[in-house]
Amino acid sequence: MRALALAAALLAVPALAHHVELLPQLEFVPPAPGSYVLYHIKPAPDGTVLGVDGRAAPLARYTHGSITLLGFIYTTCSDPDGCPLAYRVFDALKEAIGARAELHGKVRFVTLSFDPARDTPEVMSRYAGSRAVDKGNGLRWYFLSTRSARELTPLVEGFGQDVRVTRNGRELSHVLKVFLIDRGGDVREIYSSQFLHPEVVLNDIQTLLLEDR
Amino acid sequence: MRRSYCVAVAALACAAYNTVRADETCNSPYISKLIKGQEDYVYVWALGVEGLGDGSDKLVTVDVNPKSKSYGKVVNSVSTGTRAEAHHMGFTDDRRHIWAGGLSESRIWVFDIASDPAKPKLVRTVSDLGDKSGFLGPHTYYALPGRMLVQALSNTKDKGGKTGMALYSNEGKFLDAKPMPTANGGDGYGYDLAVNPKKNVLLTSSFAGYANYMRPLGELIKDAEAMKNFGNTMVVWDLKALKPQKVLAVPGAPLEIRWSLNPKDNWAITAAALTSKLWLVKQDAKGEWNAREVGTIGDPAKIPLPVDISITRDGKGLWVNTFMDGKTRYFDLSNPEAPKQTYEKATGKQVNMISQSWDGKRVYITSSLLANWDKGGADNEQFIRGFAWNGKELVQKFEVDFTREKLGRAHHMKLGSKALQAQAKGG
Repeated sequence: MRALALAAALLAVPALAHHVELLPQLEFVPPAPGSYVLYHIKPAPDGTVLGVDGRAAPLARYTHGSITLLGFIYTTCSDPDGCPLAYRVFDALKEAIGARAELHGKVRFVTLSFDPARDTPEVMSRYAGSRAVDKGNGLRWYFLSTRSARELTPLVEGFGQDVRVTRNGRELSHVLKVFLIDRGGDVREIYSSQFLHPEVVLNDIQTLLLEDR
Repeated sequence: MRRSYCVAVAALACAAYNTVRADETCNSPYISKLIKGQEDYVYVWALGVEGLGDGSDKLVTVDVNPKSKSYGKVVNSVSTGTRAEAHHMGFTDDRRHIWAGGLSESRIWVFDIASDPAKPKLVRTVSDLGDKSGFLGPHTYYALPGRMLVQALSNTKDKGGKTGMALYSNEGKFLDAKPMPTANGGDGYGYDLAVNPKKNVLLTSSFAGYANYMRPLGELIKDAEAMKNFGNTMVVWDLKALKPQKVLAVPGAPLEIRWSLNPKDNWAITAAALTSKLWLVKQDAKGEWNAREVGTIGDPAKIPLPVDISITRDGKGLWVNTFMDGKTRYFDLSNPEAPKQTYEKATGKQVNMISQSWDGKRVYITSSLLANWDKGGADNEQFIRGFAWNGKELVQKFEVDFTREKLGRAHHMKLGSKALQAQAKGG
């Protein structure tokens, strides 16, 4: 029932309903928050990243202290089942969280680029647009890049994010994965495209928050 | 070896794989890299035989690329240094490692297949399954994102059939144990597991415990009491919560589970070993999951003992191996409610596992079931045989005699690719 109530709450937000319409239909009712366990899969890896202002900082700054939803992207990604799907889910979640005061200040999003050669802080800033600005909806969304493949590789490997070069060596492909990280910096869920749905993710965020009570 | 990604290539385009696609037709849908073309290797997990070679279980690499000079030959083997009834194995979701285990104990061996796909390297042994879960005989290794779900067959307490699943991180950290249900019709047995993430469903099947599978088959089938100790159920689980939802009555030890890979389908198929029946597990219009017997494999009175099955990528065909008569059968699954056998061929004196390439044109078959269930004398052939399938006939292309090569009993197979791993490492 809680899941159904949550779904109703999600759809009750007019702007969110627009995003939900764009997302693949969820073919199951996800289990209710707190009715299942999210395991401590592994610590999120650390390394140096760049903010949109070009300043270097440890990734740990963005994976500790709040519940974090982290996804890798390329700004040139166009596969509808890939980065754009993650983007739509993040957008929908941002609105859902904005509509729920009890979640304000407890969740952050991190979008980290795979492509240090093209996705400079300036490019990431343009890619982020107004998303990187906290409009008082209780959620910060950080758009990060790295200086080099050398700095990116331990992060990609540490998360277990697949990426590979495809035909003619000029394309990168990856399996869509989004990582839910708890306040202590542990990866607690890894979403593939089938589970990357706002309703599921919001339940998981609620499940982590219930652990603190 | 560290991977160095080609992140500085001039023009990048992101093409994300939708995980509804599966691996070469029978692996976890979370496995990210598919061999859509010609595979280079078949990894064979082989049971050691006392007095043969070093007598230990080993992971054997067979070159199966027809363009290779060593086509049809063994190019490598890695011994575990012990004999533990090697049985099944599975890839991690990133396909960089194979987890493989034995049924006579609770250890799991982890092989790196990414650094050198021809020469897997034993990099880790997971030894805490028995202590942490109480389960014995890890059987199925099923990739979830960042995790491995391991289905066991038995338990350390009485070595019977009450067992469960253990969840590990890819790094080998034990996360949780989930006993098979014993309430609401559950019999506590386990065998295979397979997921349909789109439906949030995990499906499990049921076999027998150590006390049965480690016993000589001829002796076991004469023991009426012991023959009662086989699973007769499948269980529908909530995949996300890892909680049992419904127990399905599927008598006769339902073994391997194959979901149709067609995204429009909502069914899985299995073969019950003792009754020689095909069962369909399907979601009805109300969303309920039900199991129904839909076909017969050979003559059940002769106990052909269906073992491994392999579904085509379009969900329209199913290979079924029957151990006792050494036959490989093909069923037309165009109507999964009524499978029709359209082909059969004796492919060995005893056959167990069957794997096919993504395009279905190549089929690989191995011989061994269990050390104490394999046949004796001249019938105890131990091999991998590679076949070409043109839709009408299986034509044998190569064979590796595992006894002559002093490798042991050939059991589970997984496909390997040089190009796939080279891409993963960057260029």
